[in-house]
Amino acid sequence: MTRRVAIVGIGQTKVGYNVDGLNRKELTYMATKQALDDAGIGRDDIDSAITAQLDLYEGASLSQQYTLDSVGGVMKACDQRVGEDGIYAIFAGYLEAAAHPGMIVVVSSVEKSSDRERGSDPAIVLSSLDTLYVRQVCSSVPGLAGLEPCLAAMEARRYMHCYGITESQMASVAVKNYNNALRNPLAQNGQDTSLNEVMDSEMLSWPLRSMMMANPGDGACTLVLASEEVVKDITDKPVWIRGIGWCSDVNYPAVSEMGKAKFINIAARHAYSMAGIKHPSREIDLAEVYDNHSFNELMYCEALGLCGEGEGGKFMEEGKSQYGGSLPVNLSGGLLGHGNPLGTAGLIRVAQATLQLRGDAGDYQVPGAEVAVAQGCQWPYRSGGVAVLSSW
Amino acid sequence: MAKRVAIVSVGMDKFKGRKIETAEEMIYKVAKNALNRAKLPPEAIEAVVYGCAVDAFTATTAAEKVTIGGSNARLKPTMRSCTSGSTAISSPILAYYHVASGLHNMVMSVGFEKMSECRPHAQHVFNTVYDEFFVRPIGLNVPIQCGLEARRFLHRYGHTEHQMAKVSVKNHGNALDNPYAQRGKKVTIDDVMSSPYISWPVKIMDTSPTTDGARAVIFASEDMVYEITDDPVWVKGVGHCGDSVWFMGRNNSDLGRLDYAYKAAQEAYHMAGIEDPSKEIDVAEVYDPFTFKEMQHVEALGLCPEGGAGRMIDEGISLREGKLPVNPSGGLIGEGNPIGAGMSRLCWAWLQIKGQAGDCQVPKEVNTAVCNGWGGMYQYNAVMVIGRD
Repeated sequence: MTRRVAIVGIGQTKVGYNVDGLNRKELTYMATKQALDDAGIGRDDIDSAITAQLDLYEGASLSQQYTLDSVGGVMKACDQRVGEDGIYAIFAGYLEAAAHPGMIVVVSSVEKSSDRERGSDPAIVLSSLDTLYVRQVCSSVPGLAGLEPCLAAMEARRYMHCYGITESQMASVAVKNYNNALRNPLAQNGQDTSLNEVMDSEMLSWPLRSMMMANPGDGACTLVLASEEVVKDITDKPVWIRGIGWCSDVNYPAVSEMGKAKFINIAARHAYSMAGIKHPSREIDLAEVYDNHSFNELMYCEALGLCGEGEGGKFMEEGKSQYGGSLPVNLSGGLLGHGNPLGTAGLIRVAQATLQLRGDAGDYQVPGAEVAVAQGCQWPYRSGGVAVLSSW
Repeated sequence: MAKRVAIVSVGMDKFKGRKIETAEEMIYKVAKNALNRAKLPPEAIEAVVYGCAVDAFTATTAAEKVTIGGSNARLKPTMRSCTSGSTAISSPILAYYHVASGLHNMVMSVGFEKMSECRPHAQHVFNTVYDEFFVRPIGLNVPIQCGLEARRFLHRYGHTEHQMAKVSVKNHGNALDNPYAQRGKKVTIDDVMSSPYISWPVKIMDTSPTTDGARAVIFASEDMVYEITDDPVWVKGVGHCGDSVWFMGRNNSDLGRLDYAYKAAQEAYHMAGIEDPSKEIDVAEVYDPFTFKEMQHVEALGLCPEGGAGRMIDEGISLREGKLPVNPSGGLIGEGNPIGAGMSRLCWAWLQIKGQAGDCQVPKEVNTAVCNGWGGMYQYNAVMVIGRD
């Protein structure tokens, strides 16, 4: 039996374009201060600090070290990593906390997309592709402008073809998430929108339209983890990490099994077996899913077992994932509504699920939520992770 | 308590200044080598931990994600540790935690780096690790910062450039017997002393080369290690510590003394139950991108008293046949310095304990070894102690 680990503090900044003019060290400091205050501990109580960011998006090598001072990691045992989505910081923090009794670990991630030259993102997406084969093909996309929608549209097309998912089902995910974000005070893109508006937005690469893609944003998120020996001393409302799992698939579009998130499915199965969950669709009260493109929410819901394979569209249409539904998905607004700080969005999903389980989610609280699943991804790589949280 | 973790195999391959293989191919070779050495099927590995320093070397976001085929990690959990030079030991530490936490039973740690693709030189990339407002514009990079640090180190403890040169002679010489080494050669103190300065007092022959290469290490939990071997080498202690990233705002009381390295070592020795490392450690593989770094690290790791590194090399204690051999494989200076694959230090420590180090084997019984990695923004240190019970 491994040692139990709980989330005992949350700190999140608002997500937006150039939030208050803060740089990434300041953003991280704000989120960390908030998380430490939330846990009622000081900088000296931290045993270890972990940060996760993506180098090329930050325009700095070892970008995760940049924020070492801001998370209180100076002269502490710390182990930073990059090249992973923020949700991996939780996994690494869990591993450390589960191995040591009475350990307090701070995990953090930050993204400042507004520092990047406008229009430079496609070049970074290109840099995520295999050097010898895929990059050569994709660099022929004129001006690289449509690279992200092109890559995502290939998968969307395959997904639609395999399971009969319709464009309007994909659009209704966006409608749901933009509307959900209206209730979330930290969200970037909350808007009262309609299906027609999404279906009429600019077509980027069929079937993907501009309102079906998440906008990059700035934001930081910090969580405080503690191993079970010290949890009681810190908080009355711990949220336990019951299961974790992560998985990577190779990323060659020519051989990848598109339209199916097998890597998330494997990660989820690992997390569920740790958590002792046998019927995710019945046992889980809410989910925070990585929806950088609206169809991804449906695909990942299937992979997470929240609905049957190929039933993502039906799941959406029946309203189960809506606010007030039986298994609400992305009440925070997801990446579409809440905003997409690349490389931090996964950690924010965990933070939002934690808020719900603590009953601190304010206007978008699910009454009596006890078990939640949060998922992060590292697009365009086919890799991601899943965390199962519970309030007991 | 945390589960006990053993190292059951290492994967080696030759280091070269420029390899024609892709990163994926380099990894395939070391992963296969490690699996074969332990007679394990690829399916036995449950998760893979990667270590590679800086994405900008190959201009690839998450460089390890395009190489997962090489280590048979498809549809397995993969994670990457990245702390620049200390990735060498911080990624095995992360792999250790995979097992110690009870989450996985067998995990492979893979370190790799392809530095030859940088134009005009890999050192240019290292300027991009600094703060963009205050430090980067100064043009600080590794050799310059190390020059400053070396100067202060020599001054504080009264070490000499001559002693630094002796370390270079030792490590270049040791690498002659290392079949995987890039730069084994016979050099004299005069050769080193007469080589040009790159940043006073550091000379070109005090430095390690840029290298392409990879290494793999397989960790197994106590539950299954006896199915693989009767003589497990345990991970006895791990420690890591980082100072402030502000070059001018370090907790370091002094640029010449690596407070963070002392602390990392202390943590690892405490965990391993080692009280006097200079007596209890049989062999050390320390991180030596520059000769003076080996001297700083042997002091920080407690292999000699503080300020005793000069005497250690003068009296031949750190030679391969000495009382406490340091870098009998040639270290980074002799073997090559592919940042993430600096994990080679851990591999050689394991080979020495197992008695499989070939011509590099030290002429004495080895039960406990220590290795470390140094990096980040020159403020991070990771230490691992391995050994038999």
